[in-house]
Amino acid sequence: MRRRAVAGCLVALGLLTACTTQDDGISGLSTLGVPGPAEPGTLRVLSSSELGDMAPVLAQVEKDTGVKVKLNPIGTLDAVRMLAEGKTDGRYDALWLSSNDYLRLRPDAARKVVSETPVMSSPVAIGVRSATVRALGWKPADVTWSQVEQAVQDGKLTYGMTDPARSNSGFSTLVSVASALSGAQSALTDADVTKATPRLKKFFKGQKLTSGSSGWLAAAYDRRGDVDALLNYESVLMGIPGLTVIRPHDGVITADYPLTSLRSTSARTREDVRRVTEDLRTAKIQREITARTHRRPVVASVPPASGLDTTRRRELPFPGTRSVADGLLDSYENELRRPSRTVYVLDTSGSMEGDRLARLKTALTGLTGDFREREEVTLMPFGSQVKSVRTHVVEPADPRTGLTAIRADTAALSADGDTAIYTSLEKAYGHLGTGRDAFTSIVLMTDGENTAGAGARDFEAFYARLGREARDTPVFPILFGDSDRSELAHIADLTGGRLFDARQGSLDGAFEEIRGYQ
Amino acid sequence: MRRIVGIVLAVLLVGGVVAAVVAGREADDKGTATKTVLGVIGSEKAEFFEDPDVVKALAAKGYTVKAETSGSWAMEGLDLDGYDFAFPSSQAPATELAAKHGVRGTLPRPFYSPLVVVAQKNAAEVLARNGLATLDAEHRGTLRMAAYVDAARADRTWQQLKGAGKYGELTGTLYLSSTDPETSNSGALYLAAASYVANGGKVVAGAADIARTAPLLHKLVSVQGAQQSSTDAAFRDFVSGAGNPLVLVYESQVAALLEAGQRPDDLVVLYPDTTVDSDHTVVPLTENGQVLAGLLATDPRLRELEVRHGFRPQGRTTEFASATTYLKQELTGVRQAPVPTSAVLHELARRARG
Repeated sequence: MRRRAVAGCLVALGLLTACTTQDDGISGLSTLGVPGPAEPGTLRVLSSSELGDMAPVLAQVEKDTGVKVKLNPIGTLDAVRMLAEGKTDGRYDALWLSSNDYLRLRPDAARKVVSETPVMSSPVAIGVRSATVRALGWKPADVTWSQVEQAVQDGKLTYGMTDPARSNSGFSTLVSVASALSGAQSALTDADVTKATPRLKKFFKGQKLTSGSSGWLAAAYDRRGDVDALLNYESVLMGIPGLTVIRPHDGVITADYPLTSLRSTSARTREDVRRVTEDLRTAKIQREITARTHRRPVVASVPPASGLDTTRRRELPFPGTRSVADGLLDSYENELRRPSRTVYVLDTSGSMEGDRLARLKTALTGLTGDFREREEVTLMPFGSQVKSVRTHVVEPADPRTGLTAIRADTAALSADGDTAIYTSLEKAYGHLGTGRDAFTSIVLMTDGENTAGAGARDFEAFYARLGREARDTPVFPILFGDSDRSELAHIADLTGGRLFDARQGSLDGAFEEIRGYQ
Repeated sequence: MRRIVGIVLAVLLVGGVVAAVVAGREADDKGTATKTVLGVIGSEKAEFFEDPDVVKALAAKGYTVKAETSGSWAMEGLDLDGYDFAFPSSQAPATELAAKHGVRGTLPRPFYSPLVVVAQKNAAEVLARNGLATLDAEHRGTLRMAAYVDAARADRTWQQLKGAGKYGELTGTLYLSSTDPETSNSGALYLAAASYVANGGKVVAGAADIARTAPLLHKLVSVQGAQQSSTDAAFRDFVSGAGNPLVLVYESQVAALLEAGQRPDDLVVLYPDTTVDSDHTVVPLTENGQVLAGLLATDPRLRELEVRHGFRPQGRTTEFASATTYLKQELTGVRQAPVPTSAVLHELARRARG
């Protein structure tokens, strides 16, 4: 019954991550976007995840034009890579990211584009708890990035933001912060980034939450209660109660959401894209957009929704070369942000024998290309109980040693025994402990139901007894094989995690997507 | 009933016809059968071809135009098989397209539009106070290109200009935002105008001129960081209040906004004292494309509509109704810089971006 409701919701919205149910963790189930087959009158659009809020507007557009828009959420970098490698050819009919700035830095991707038309805009902003704004004595209209930096350094401000490598909003936020704090007078250069590194490092010490999507970030912020602010697009922040939304006075980067048609598509498909674009830019739809999503209109006849301050802000230039953009991202991941500590609780019970175990090994091995410097990775395979606990750190001076060891441990995994999910999770919490300056999380991959050791009730009691800090560690369960959806959803919900589905997409894809939350 | 049959028929036909039927409903009701003409156009002309009145005027002459947008210089890379015409925003890319597709004869240039700078009021005021611009109406003025080029050479920031201090948004390097000169016409025309000024009032021709002007052009482009790939996008960003306070666009884009009855308060149109016109040039690929080009140039109703969309039809003094505080009726005091040859312009764009 429940499952049917979700399926209906997926069909209705055409957007997998937009469906929020009580039982899939704190912001719903996530399945990697799998585009459907081409259908006349339907556009399969690779899009930024925060565009989920456009569902009602797109329903109206469908009424106006007869064209249905199906959104498949993806991060900017992944989208641009897919485009450049030709992986969107024949699978997607259009692209709709928060901005094409990064896309333009890659000629091999830019060549795949025929036309792009901005539909609406939203600047990067900081949403601060109103109580914190008062405590800091801030006047929202005058706050600068330097003041934000100062408050972070004084220990008076903590914040959450999305992962720049996987989320459009995170990437724009990173560029805004780096441009503002570097003191660069025009587009960032490699030298500016190097110069700003010490300041940025201090700034990112204040980041207490990371997320692969804006939706989960908001939910986690709400649940945690001890994070003071969120960095994201103004439109996202306006939708979260209790936040004072500040556009820093010394500059922002603005997303302009260009609906983009692709060279690999037919003239007929592009005509559908054009008609949808045209409808989206009518005054009627523009009013709808600004009222419902808090984004700003791009036609002069429609004023921004009430509550959107229209005083001017400096627009920070987006880097003009790929080396600057990629270099910034690289230093964020490997140097600037707090490192992550993750326990992979891996079901290697008897039922994993054969193909399933092989897929797990492939997925984990693939993941080793993605671990960041300073990251601590613990592999905790289990059957009737935890079989071994192996911890590796990717040392910046010698990253290969740690990664090689993870691969060796992965290759050595073997399947036998029953499935002691809860006992193993308890052990993972024990291993992580508290008091380390890192993003901690637990990934749970299982292909079956709990059959040994502690039960769900025991685990609930265990979790309730944990200290407040330990309770901040979320579990990200992955649905795989014959795992029990309601059991895993409950774990995600209890611990503030999120459920990932590897049954339709691939296990590699699920592991990859979880990276954004680590 | 007739309507239903019409819709069913339309659905059975190619998708694009659906739009034409909906947009041109009145014409359709009169039972006019039209020929569909397929084209690729610069983004700034999209609204013109989408205007129901334009659709109607074309239908009255027996044509339905389906147009796809592309950067003018990017049209070279498109497969134009099955298209009737290409309509880039200036002569240079049109000439190249004509050569590539074996089109002979003089290419029709039905209308033109000069490149202008749209400025936020505060920015225009500060420029005027510092001798970089003069203002002759509340929303209109002239940008002194030589002074601007000097400021750019010296990496002048807004903070260094008198009177900028009271406007928080005016910080960082002073620059004009343009589109990517390698793919979009307005970006390339900006380089044509700036290189002419930097070259002492002579059109850039040959290696020595290129070498002399390239460092400045590189500076004008690199300070901008990532650039928009279409003029429409750059103008939309400006309208939505985002982006740099000074943006190069076509006059036609501003005029179209004004003709639609908008009077944006925070907008000053600065005509560069040395500028380049975009000569919207048709490359007819088929006979239908040729006929369409002729209609755009000569049909009185279409010429009227061109003015409504802010274009200046060839061979007539344009009167932009009720827009006098924003636009110049006649382009006196605006010097036309000749555009370098395509090869030179390409090289300038490459060096500016590189």
